[in-house]
Amino acid sequence: MGSVGITRIADSEYLVEANGRRERVYVAGPAHDRWAFWNGHVYRDSVAVPPARVRRERHAGTQAITAPMPATVIKVLVNEGQAVKKGDTLVVLEAMKMELPIRATGDAVVAAVRCAQGDLVQADATLIELA
Amino acid sequence: MVDDLVIRRLLIANRGEIAVRIIRACNELGIESVAVYSDADARAPHVFAADRAVPLGPAPAIESYLSIPRVIDAARQARADAVHPGYGFLAENAAFAAACAAAGLIFVGPPADVIARMGSKIEARRLVAAAGVTVVPGETPADQSDSGVADALQRVGLPALVKASAGGGGKGMRLVGASSEARDAIQAARREASAAFGDGTLYVERLIERPHHVEVQVFGDHHGRVVHLFERECSVQRRHQKIIEESPSPVVSPQLRHRMTSAAVAAAVAAGYRNAGTVEFLVDLSTGGGDPARFYFLEMNTRLQVEHPVTEESTGLDLVRAQILVAAGEPLPWADEDIRQRGHVIEARLYAEDPANDFLPQAGALLLYREPQLPGVRIDSGVCQDGDVSIHYDPIMAKVIAAAETRALAIAKLSAALRAFPILGVRTNVPFLLRILADRRFQHGDIDTGFLDREGTDLAGSTEEMPDFVRHVAALADQPQSAIRNPQSAMKWDPWG
Repeated sequence: MGSVGITRIADSEYLVEANGRRERVYVAGPAHDRWAFWNGHVYRDSVAVPPARVRRERHAGTQAITAPMPATVIKVLVNEGQAVKKGDTLVVLEAMKMELPIRATGDAVVAAVRCAQGDLVQADATLIELA
Repeated sequence: MVDDLVIRRLLIANRGEIAVRIIRACNELGIESVAVYSDADARAPHVFAADRAVPLGPAPAIESYLSIPRVIDAARQARADAVHPGYGFLAENAAFAAACAAAGLIFVGPPADVIARMGSKIEARRLVAAAGVTVVPGETPADQSDSGVADALQRVGLPALVKASAGGGGKGMRLVGASSEARDAIQAARREASAAFGDGTLYVERLIERPHHVEVQVFGDHHGRVVHLFERECSVQRRHQKIIEESPSPVVSPQLRHRMTSAAVAAAVAAGYRNAGTVEFLVDLSTGGGDPARFYFLEMNTRLQVEHPVTEESTGLDLVRAQILVAAGEPLPWADEDIRQRGHVIEARLYAEDPANDFLPQAGALLLYREPQLPGVRIDSGVCQDGDVSIHYDPIMAKVIAAAETRALAIAKLSAALRAFPILGVRTNVPFLLRILADRRFQHGDIDTGFLDREGTDLAGSTEEMPDFVRHVAALADQPQSAIRNPQSAMKWDPWG
């Protein structure tokens, strides 16, 4: 990238010249979680990777099924000790008037239920632990 | 300007882009605007846009925007003389329209009995059928239990749709392809219907295969006049949620347009309709399109539509202004010859959702939000930079409407606007919209209402890695301009230099 020229033309807005072309790039966010926009594309480059829909934490043999975003728990469909199959709906969340079924990632047994109907949960909050 | 308008202060019982849109109409009419807001919206754009603002209550809609007593109290407190409900929330709630009337408030919309009549899907179907308009085969079961609705599905024949009687916008609607799916679909539809509309009544309707959704804008005044403002094609839908709307429809021929608009006016007249409304039809092209194409009455929306700007830009007429005038008892402000379709208009809805991650709704702070300024492009929005997209409400952020001489030019203009519309901090459906607009099948006007759910997975795309030149800018963005390596800096105009 030896011949890259970057000019800030407005707050968060840059012209970058690369390989003979001029591109307009918008950048926002702190250094550890940078967002960028170019020509209808959105990019996010964060040190802490954004939460996946289901995060697996393998400690002591359990995995945490977490909320993908802030939401309300409208239904808890499983109990502790219950065996579930891959794809079974464990919890139904609601956010922005839409239902989000949270499903089992594999055949497992419910080790713990960490939420209850009516709870307002934050992104990444553990809903169910599977073993 | 109507100097002696009986409406002097209008309360907008809504939020987001539609509240901002209505406030703009108030400003132009010289009417004072009153916003209402929940605790989550205390610093929302619609609150700052209005002449005054009244708090409603906690963030959940049921305790704020959906609370009839609280909205009526707010109108009393602000000494408003009229209420505009926008769309969603209480817009099609007959009890709300009646409560406004009882409180001496002018409701900007049809009378409560018309809302109730057309809001009951079964009543609406009976009424328009009597007026000679063909309806989709279906029924509202008297027995609303799971088994009662399941029995109705069997009678109508599968595949069929379970729909919220009070519904709209695809909320509380489920497709049932096989009997085994009925129970889950019925329960989910009822839950969603109760949450979104406060009414869990369901009805069932046979599925028309691969239909186009074409709707006709109608408008009636209190002096016996009912007109139509042509059609909108709204077939680009994902899970029954409209995404792209346009006018004219690429599948409606002049003769078919005449048949559909006549049917829409007949339906509106039969309903005793007043103010702005939309008659939705399914067009069945399976037996051939063109002039003799079959179309079925789907439902009537007794309110302003999300996609009303398509009609405004296509006809050059201001629907919200007309709504307020008509509610005030004025005649419709247009002569018949003023109502014409011109050129081509396309609208895209910007939703806070991540197409690359199963369209998961997104919430959070908007780090950057900068609307492009382009000729022929209108943007109606209800968010702003440093504001939040809240988890509590619909994920619609903005609508981008492009008008041009031809459909191809309007598509190109809309695409250019979306490519120049940076939104950062919350993921949006813009990459998905751009792929649809670039798709050959869309460009040919071949997309039916089920297309995206059936064949659209490749259009959703995946999360993209930053190209090197973008990463380079991102890495240096916090640095002062003087620290940004720039071999040509001496030759450049640099306001920060």
